[in-house]
Amino acid sequence: MSPLMKRIPREIRNGWSKYIVIFLLLVGTISLCSGFFVADESMLKAYNDSFDKYNIEDGHFMTKNPLNEAQRKNISRHVTIYDLPYVERTLSSSKIRIFKQRHTINKVDVLEGRLARKEGEIAIDRLYAKNNHLSIGNYLDNKWKIVGFVALSDYSALFENNSDSMFDAIKFGVGVVNEKTFNQLTRSQMKYCYAWKYNKKIKDEKKAADNLLKVINEETSLDDYVPRYQNQAITFTGSDMGSDRAMVMMLLYIMIIIMAFVFVVMISDTIMNEANVIGTLRATGYTIKELIFHYMSAPMIVTLISCLVGNILGYTYFKTLMASLYYNSYSLTSYKTIWSISALVETTVVPLILMIVIHYVALRRKLSLSVLKLIKRDLSKSKRKHAVYLPRHIPFFTRFRMRIIFQNIGSYIVIFVGILFANLLLLFALALPDMIHNYQDVMKSQMIADYQYILKVPSSIQSEDKLKSMISLLSYQREVETDQEAEKFSACSLKAKESGAKEEDVMVYGIHKKSRYVNIDHQGDGVYISSSYHEKYGYDKGDTIILHEPYEKKTYKLKVQGIYNYPGSVCVFMDQEKLNEDILKTGSQYFSGYFSDKPITDIKKENIATIIDFDTVTKISRQLDASMGKMMSVVQGISLVMFMVIIYLLSKVIIEKNGQSISIIKILGYSNREAAKLYILATSLVVLLSIIVSIPLEYYLLKPVFIAMMKTEMSGWIPFDINKIVYIKMFIYGVLTYTVVAIMEYRKIQRVSMSEALKNVE
Amino acid sequence: MEFLVLKNVKKSYGQDENLVHVLKGIDLCLNKGELCVMLGPSGCGKSTLLNIIGGIDSCDEGQIFVDGKDISQMKEKDLTKYRRFHLGYIFQMYNLIPNLTVRENIEVGAYLSDNPLDLDYLLRVLGLYEHQNKLPHELSGGQQQRTSIGRAVIKNPEILLCDEPTGALDYRTSKDILGLLEDINEKYGTTILMVTHNDALAHMADHIVRIKDGEILSDQVNKKVSIKQIEW
Repeated sequence: MSPLMKRIPREIRNGWSKYIVIFLLLVGTISLCSGFFVADESMLKAYNDSFDKYNIEDGHFMTKNPLNEAQRKNISRHVTIYDLPYVERTLSSSKIRIFKQRHTINKVDVLEGRLARKEGEIAIDRLYAKNNHLSIGNYLDNKWKIVGFVALSDYSALFENNSDSMFDAIKFGVGVVNEKTFNQLTRSQMKYCYAWKYNKKIKDEKKAADNLLKVINEETSLDDYVPRYQNQAITFTGSDMGSDRAMVMMLLYIMIIIMAFVFVVMISDTIMNEANVIGTLRATGYTIKELIFHYMSAPMIVTLISCLVGNILGYTYFKTLMASLYYNSYSLTSYKTIWSISALVETTVVPLILMIVIHYVALRRKLSLSVLKLIKRDLSKSKRKHAVYLPRHIPFFTRFRMRIIFQNIGSYIVIFVGILFANLLLLFALALPDMIHNYQDVMKSQMIADYQYILKVPSSIQSEDKLKSMISLLSYQREVETDQEAEKFSACSLKAKESGAKEEDVMVYGIHKKSRYVNIDHQGDGVYISSSYHEKYGYDKGDTIILHEPYEKKTYKLKVQGIYNYPGSVCVFMDQEKLNEDILKTGSQYFSGYFSDKPITDIKKENIATIIDFDTVTKISRQLDASMGKMMSVVQGISLVMFMVIIYLLSKVIIEKNGQSISIIKILGYSNREAAKLYILATSLVVLLSIIVSIPLEYYLLKPVFIAMMKTEMSGWIPFDINKIVYIKMFIYGVLTYTVVAIMEYRKIQRVSMSEALKNVE
Repeated sequence: MEFLVLKNVKKSYGQDENLVHVLKGIDLCLNKGELCVMLGPSGCGKSTLLNIIGGIDSCDEGQIFVDGKDISQMKEKDLTKYRRFHLGYIFQMYNLIPNLTVRENIEVGAYLSDNPLDLDYLLRVLGLYEHQNKLPHELSGGQQQRTSIGRAVIKNPEILLCDEPTGALDYRTSKDILGLLEDINEKYGTTILMVTHNDALAHMADHIVRIKDGEILSDQVNKKVSIKQIEW
């Protein structure tokens, strides 16, 4: 063992305050990430296993009337059918979908309490209960006693309708009652839902689903048809878990790289102080490799210990914390922690490799100077040969500070990058809740209409047989006619399949020429896209959007005639007649919904497919708030700690590097305040400037991240509007956090002894 | 006129068996405008005494009067003022601020005075005018020490404390530097207290103090000779 190794414990002891801060930051980051990865992987495994364990459906369909024996028999030739009827009850502020106990398909996991055994008992979804502050023993709708909290394997994300842009575990829940209780429920309100499982293993889910659709369509009229791969209530959770992992990993590695540079700045300072010693060691025969190994040992030991401690904490404490974040969003079944090799590699091996590579490159550059140069302490590779000219009319103190900034430009660049990254996290954490609330406020005034009624349209209207189609239309119109004041519109749901984005349902509205709700130009040959569509996918006037039929191969190319200011959903507006004729292929009299200022009460419930009101439109914001709200406080905390640690460490290095100069000016008669004015104010100026410069930059950095997140993770859109208050908050947080660091640094300057300058070291 | 008076100044370092008495009761009196050379071997306590007079270190016992004020009783804030307004310090290793130019290093001293000497004039006197925009590492040892002297004298201090100012310089440069100190003493009437172990330099002083083992061995007035005439 090299005798130099004996210095390493001393080096760590002497610089303990720096190392402990880095250690704590690394442990914090790694334990959070490790906990997240372990929880994510364990739950992802539990989620993947749940398909077999709970026998999750391959899809489901809904019919207006129950299937008769013949229909059932014909469909059963292709798949196994399971009855999955339900009723829905509207409670004071939410809706609950009630199933009878499932024994064979989409089985239920009891998380707390028990299943409903007696009449009048119900076991409800755990997350819905939590969000609505319901406990076991409470009564639901004054009727059913809650006896257990459960997770329904086909509702890991509580989507009320598959076309919803976001699930809503606050206003929508599911529950199971025993068969006797279920049979007592009103039959007229029963929804006839059937789950299916393919009889043999299939290769192409889409093809199989398309074929089955044809079969079922021949037998009965469908109200809904959702193959599993399209069922957001089942698939959303799995895809969200994967994408979060990539984001967390990216954050971890950016953090590790920044910390590696902080270490490099610290080591560079040590090398500068010990240049003559290094030169002497090289002269005595020590190789560059041995010296590199020596100087990188302390940071590597700190990193390794941080990784190990971080992983231990991750596997024990943070795993539960991170799992609870998922449990706050999703109705997951129970999971078992699995020993994750990939989590260990990602949070230990990769950070270590990153540290080693960055250190090796930086140290190799520093230590490859000639022996003579090192002995003479002539580090000209890194030292500026000549002074930068500064005009004399600049006040002396300002010039002094500028010299400090030039001298420590490397440290200040790392500070800037650190602030940029920390502020990016901070902006995200501050802006998201603000955007959510802002969206809710904006939507209050920007709804197309207070109520949009989407009607259930019989498929016979679109029949090839013109006569049959016309008769159907007439009968339908009579059924859904209202005497209340409302405006008719046509609508259809198409799919947008943008590259790098999740498939999204796009509502295409056909607007009446004299509409008082949507004001568009009906003369052009194109369509209007909502401002959400424009912002999310970047389409502009003159572009062409491509939309697809959900269950057919048909696509539509629509030219964008303008952007319509509507942030409520990703949708398209066009002339009603054009929609009817060109896309829906129905007569010009066709309509499928109403805009209304008041609730419409004279249309039968069974004729209404969906009611879009303020609650529906703001669903995405509520869910984001519920699932990410708590996480945002954690992210705020992390970003501020990171901000503080980076500035603290680097300003400490700057003060240590200038310890002798500070000592000299003190001997000359400068007060501590004046020394601080020079040495702390230089850093303060850089920090302040970094915060100010970073604020507008953050907007442009965060915007693509936000758009990518919205595109890949969710349907719908929340306008990327950051309130000025958020920037002011960010500035204040930054300044306050820095003030804490500045106070610590002031104390350090106070402690610089005058004897430092008397050590006679140049 | 008595300007600097030391009465029974004692200083020790360490504790118990490691206790070392560095100064064992120093009495000294310097008149205003005197050039005093303090001689003694390494470790005799002369630098410690200089640091105590400079308000950088404190004594355990005794009193130090500068222009009638007892600095041994002063708090840190007053000591800072004392160093700021009355004192100039010159070190053996120059102690320049490495990231400031020659001109700016001298401005560090000028900032402390309400009535500093003219900087351009001083740069010319010091022979540094041509080098004023250079950084310390671009200068020779002599030029660095001249810069250090410039920094100390620009505020026109009443006392100039010099700790081995030529200790790191060659003969020729040492003579230049000492000539400069001599000129400052004569021109501005600055009281200079210079610590050295070079016996030959005693001849340039008005007052010679010899120290050994923390005690004053001799304290004598001298008829000074110009440095130009001194050889060593």
